[in-house]
Amino acid sequence: MTEKIVVANKGLVRAEFAFWVGQYMDKFFDALENKKLIGNKCPKCNDVFVPPRKICGKCNITIPLDQNWIDLPETGIIKNYTITPYKINDRASRKVKKSQIIGMIQIDGSNTCIIYRLLDIDPEDIKIGMKVKVEWEEKTNGDPSDIKGFTKI
Amino acid sequence: MQRVGIVGYNQVKLYSDANYGRYEMIFEAVRGAIDSAGLKKKDITTVISCTNDYYEGRTISNCFTVEVGGGYMADESKVEMDGAHAVLYGLMRILSGNHKLAVIWGGSMASCFPYHSARLYETDPTWERPVAYVNDISSAGFQMRAYLQKYGVNNEDIAKIAVKNRKNASKNPLALEEAKNPNITIKDVLESGIYADPVTELMVAQPCDGVAALLLAPEKQALKITDNPVWITGVGYSQDTYYLGDRDLSGSKSMEVASKMAFNAAGIKDPKSEINVAELFEAYAHEEIIFSEAIGFAEKGKGAELNTEIDGEIPINPSGGAIGGNPPCGTGLIRIIEAAKQLRGEANGYQVKNARKAIASGQIGMCAQNNILFVLEGGN
Repeated sequence: MTEKIVVANKGLVRAEFAFWVGQYMDKFFDALENKKLIGNKCPKCNDVFVPPRKICGKCNITIPLDQNWIDLPETGIIKNYTITPYKINDRASRKVKKSQIIGMIQIDGSNTCIIYRLLDIDPEDIKIGMKVKVEWEEKTNGDPSDIKGFTKI
Repeated sequence: MQRVGIVGYNQVKLYSDANYGRYEMIFEAVRGAIDSAGLKKKDITTVISCTNDYYEGRTISNCFTVEVGGGYMADESKVEMDGAHAVLYGLMRILSGNHKLAVIWGGSMASCFPYHSARLYETDPTWERPVAYVNDISSAGFQMRAYLQKYGVNNEDIAKIAVKNRKNASKNPLALEEAKNPNITIKDVLESGIYADPVTELMVAQPCDGVAALLLAPEKQALKITDNPVWITGVGYSQDTYYLGDRDLSGSKSMEVASKMAFNAAGIKDPKSEINVAELFEAYAHEEIIFSEAIGFAEKGKGAELNTEIDGEIPINPSGGAIGGNPPCGTGLIRIIEAAKQLRGEANGYQVKNARKAIASGQIGMCAQNNILFVLEGGN
């Protein structure tokens, strides 16, 4: 049998996408840049969303852009977590030496969870319901990476 | 619902790195299905394929698979979800009254693309993807922990499912060799290395290479083609909201809705006593338990207490399930084929006795956002 020939396409064509985040996320990212968290509230079911959104999917209605914004604290609770040695980006998935702890955090005053790393917490110490707070990147850019992660209070 | 019959099927053996070109594998699956029913290319009136452009590395990927999939000069279309969704599309084509024979095929070669990176493209590009903490691996960990936490279930109970499916897979000649292990223990599963805690490596349905094909025909044609058709008597389909942080991951609401819909159509009132065998697309061991509860085989939190062995009270995944091999875009279709095999008495080596009614499910999305369930009945 002849040797298996593999043709690998290392991106001869690179399609770079540019996504406009929309007016609601624009406001949210502006807040992140100032190290603040905001959400918005569905006028019908009163759920508070972080990040904010234009439409409440369950109620199927629009949340007006100029209404129902809520300033939120930088504290929340751990609702769920996982620990994984796999690191994934858009080029590769690989196993790293130091596992990341990734948590689902419900910001106080909101009804949804956001997913970020848990920093400086030993896996044995993590408890569901534990209080945590945002650790900001020193220099913020108005994007999802402004939140470095969450730390124990 | 007018009766639509499964009149033929074929699946190529699953490999972690198959020695096939892409198109050879599709041709072997589809041609084999047509041959198994004693039919010819000219009998095909519609072809529905299931692939994913990100997994194929090209856009409108079905334009390259027309000939090998039996679609030359035929009505041809694609579903970019799970193979089980392609069966729903094929079913609708038949029910339209315009078609006499539908070929449905699905699958891919996971050895040819970076699976987890490709799945990262499911995430929100404006919020989650830039930091990549939400991905198919971390979501598996969240889902299992949500279930364990809510019901106080042990890791051992989840590992048991992986043990059962890997033992079952060793009886299935078409399953992935790497997934088979007749002597595996709960300890082996628990000590197989962390995937996304509490999920361990051997609890995962490993993405692999494979293609499967299925033939559907309306009742009249089905009875002409075979004296052993399998009827689709119900189907249900539902999806949950996208963001993981909005969902209750400890259960599967979309599977609850999908199964109710399917059981209503099929006139099934008590699934546990009426269904003889289930083939469920469990991307991870814990999903099999979550689904079996959503379907109504057990109360919430009690799924692990069911005996789901081949000779158990309700056999689930006698073929080894998705843990026995998980070719993206083909896995749900294979579940339907495996359920049909059981009803036709063709599951050599893992046949469930007296199987008259079966269910088969497909899914797609992080934490099985979207679920589809079929009810199948044997005999004519």
